[in-house]
Amino acid sequence: MSERMWRPGDLDLGRRGIVGVVSALAVLVLGVLTLAAPESAAGTLGGAVFNSGTLASALRLSVPIALAAVGGIFAEKSGVINIGLEGLLIISAFGAVYAMDVVDNLWVAFLAGVLVSTVLAGLFAVVCIEFRADQIIAGLAVWLIALGLAPFASQVVYGAPNTDSVRTPPTAADVLGPVPVVGDVQSALAAIPVAGALFDANVVVYLTFLVVGLSWHTLYRTRFGQWVQASGENPKALDTAGVNVSRVRYAAVLLSGVLSGLGGASLSLTLGQFTGNGPTMVNGKGFIAIVAYLFGNYNPIGAFLSTLLFAGLDALQIALQLQDVGVPNQLIRVTPFVMVIVVLALVGRTRLPAAAGDHYESGEE
Amino acid sequence: MSARERFRRILDRLLAASGTERALISLASLVLAIAVGTVIILVAGRMTTCETAAFWLTHPRPLGVPELFRVGFCYDPVTVYDRLFLGALDDPLSGNWSPLDGQFAVTLRETTVLVFTGLSVALAFRAGVFNIGTQGQMVVGALATALAVLWVAPLFSGVVGTLVLVPFGLLVGAVGGGLYGAVPGALKAYADANEVITTIMLNFIATGIVLYLVSEVFKDPDSLANQTVSLPDYALFPVVLFGEQFGVSVLALLVALAAVVAVYYLLEHTPFGYDIRASGLQPAAAEYGGVDAARTVVASMTLSGALGGLAGAVYVLMILGNFQTGVPAYGFDGITVAILAGNNPLGVTVAAFLFGVLKSGTTVVQFATDVPPQLVGVLRGLIILFVAMPEFFRLLGRRIAGPERESEREATVATDGGHDTEHRAPETRDGSGGGPRR
Repeated sequence: MSERMWRPGDLDLGRRGIVGVVSALAVLVLGVLTLAAPESAAGTLGGAVFNSGTLASALRLSVPIALAAVGGIFAEKSGVINIGLEGLLIISAFGAVYAMDVVDNLWVAFLAGVLVSTVLAGLFAVVCIEFRADQIIAGLAVWLIALGLAPFASQVVYGAPNTDSVRTPPTAADVLGPVPVVGDVQSALAAIPVAGALFDANVVVYLTFLVVGLSWHTLYRTRFGQWVQASGENPKALDTAGVNVSRVRYAAVLLSGVLSGLGGASLSLTLGQFTGNGPTMVNGKGFIAIVAYLFGNYNPIGAFLSTLLFAGLDALQIALQLQDVGVPNQLIRVTPFVMVIVVLALVGRTRLPAAAGDHYESGEE
Repeated sequence: MSARERFRRILDRLLAASGTERALISLASLVLAIAVGTVIILVAGRMTTCETAAFWLTHPRPLGVPELFRVGFCYDPVTVYDRLFLGALDDPLSGNWSPLDGQFAVTLRETTVLVFTGLSVALAFRAGVFNIGTQGQMVVGALATALAVLWVAPLFSGVVGTLVLVPFGLLVGAVGGGLYGAVPGALKAYADANEVITTIMLNFIATGIVLYLVSEVFKDPDSLANQTVSLPDYALFPVVLFGEQFGVSVLALLVALAAVVAVYYLLEHTPFGYDIRASGLQPAAAEYGGVDAARTVVASMTLSGALGGLAGAVYVLMILGNFQTGVPAYGFDGITVAILAGNNPLGVTVAAFLFGVLKSGTTVVQFATDVPPQLVGVLRGLIILFVAMPEFFRLLGRRIAGPERESEREATVATDGGHDTEHRAPETRDGSGGGPRR
């Protein structure tokens, strides 16, 4: 439990490292094959992998997953397993588009998404911390409530589970293009073959980079981060040190609501619409986020890297659907879900924070 | 802190509540969900637009006090709940109640499927495993049933066909769902993969693969929809008592009730049932006592999946008559049914009927009002949330019971709701027991 040999915040290797190295090698081999034999099956696959469109959509797809995953890290590190991330993404995806439709202001739209998600996360926090509900069941309830409420609201307002279309957030080119020198540099960078997508993404992608970096710093380099970790590992000690465990947990769960809200708002706003049929447009991203942070060993940067793995796979399957590779699209579409199971089976039991899932009651009554 | 310990504590807490208290909490959760639902209906009624308000909210006006304000709402919550509950029961208060040829038949139809999905979730839960994958197991079972019966049907006809094909279809559905349920069971038992995540992922995978199979391989060439060819009538559950158009069969309901009794007997009166309950309650002690934990997890997930598969088979053989993509969320409703029933197989019957009312009432509400049918989905989530927080209702009960009991908290905890002091022990221990917390 406490045999921690690595510095807090460092990525540990082991099975995770093996999976990472194998993926990197696979990409490398594929690159060589693509250059050597562009007409072969591997060449087709490689063509899709190294298409800058694929990287662009991988970055876009990773935004909601990465933001929800980082939020989930804070909640779980503090000792509250938030399995309702999916619900938070769903409710904020709708809230943001609705606000955008009403006021046509991106700041307000993001704020609205964050607000509804945080309110729902707050409800979850009260139920778990105050009323000692089982965190898994309460998290499932959060998911199911949002899964019903968002399409319900959309039906009420728009007469259909899908909302009207709204304006989307700007890309790097939109923001920097008009600026004299910077705009030229941006377009030159964006023209780089594969990696160019990094410099011509939607602003939400850079927002995600920022959030991941800040979260890493908060978790490992600040007092609050220490409290969050102690609250999950050894709440008794934190209590003894005079810090209110419940308050730390409330803060962490609310933070997961804020970050998931950003994620959900980014998801729907970049597409300009909320679609609420079946599993809604969120379509399991909240659950993939949980696996992403487990795979990233609760490290925000690790979680982001594993998110890129899943999102990259998702982008790849979208790219492959457009080409005829002989495998039906409906089957290609399930590959990210299969990958999640494979990863979960390989990583196996992750080392949960010692007190995760536990209710903590302070000695003073 | 293992997941199993956590389940043990949930189950402890659930078991700690005596039967009466649990029933009271379920009832209170339902009432609270309806209350919150009312607020949602009113708010939604302000968000939409309509010609004339369906519902007015005003202050009481005794003795000609002038009206100061009046707020109109597009949806009337009273009508919604009247249609939802009384509509689903075919208006039993109206005098000429004819339950056999109306909405009540639809309610029983929904109940029949929900009994299976509720049992599926409840059985896994009793073993300490969260099976969120009942939906996927049901989809797999349904397709397996439809395809197998289509394949075998030409060999039979008439009454013999029914006698052979219906049990055969049920068996195939159970096997299909069981195998699909065994996968997350094995992943949990042997690779430590969290079953909540794997079962949810397997739901997505089942939907994707089934969509492929039905749209590309087994599609009815004469139909635009993604569905298989219709099964012959003699391969379906025969209609008795109720009208043809409602798609309900008393025989299927009897099979469902038989499943309830079977699961109850299995859990309470067989060695295997003992293993399941022991693993759910005290995994460490169970293993010490010689229960093979991995095997029990796989077996209970397989059985749970088989019950989900049976739900799919009944859905095909009773309601659809073929397989179509877009199976309704019976599996997720099964989670609510199981949690409402406190994972007791007998309670599942009552909870399934309650949820059958909600699902069938939804269509009546859709006819009578403009309220979107997704409302029941919201209620489903709210009910789960409220049942998950018994402590809230205990606090509420204490508040109502009066402040003088507040001082002797421990005694209050032991007496409110139940009279079973011995069973209440885990509850009072909650703050002090278990691991590194204190």
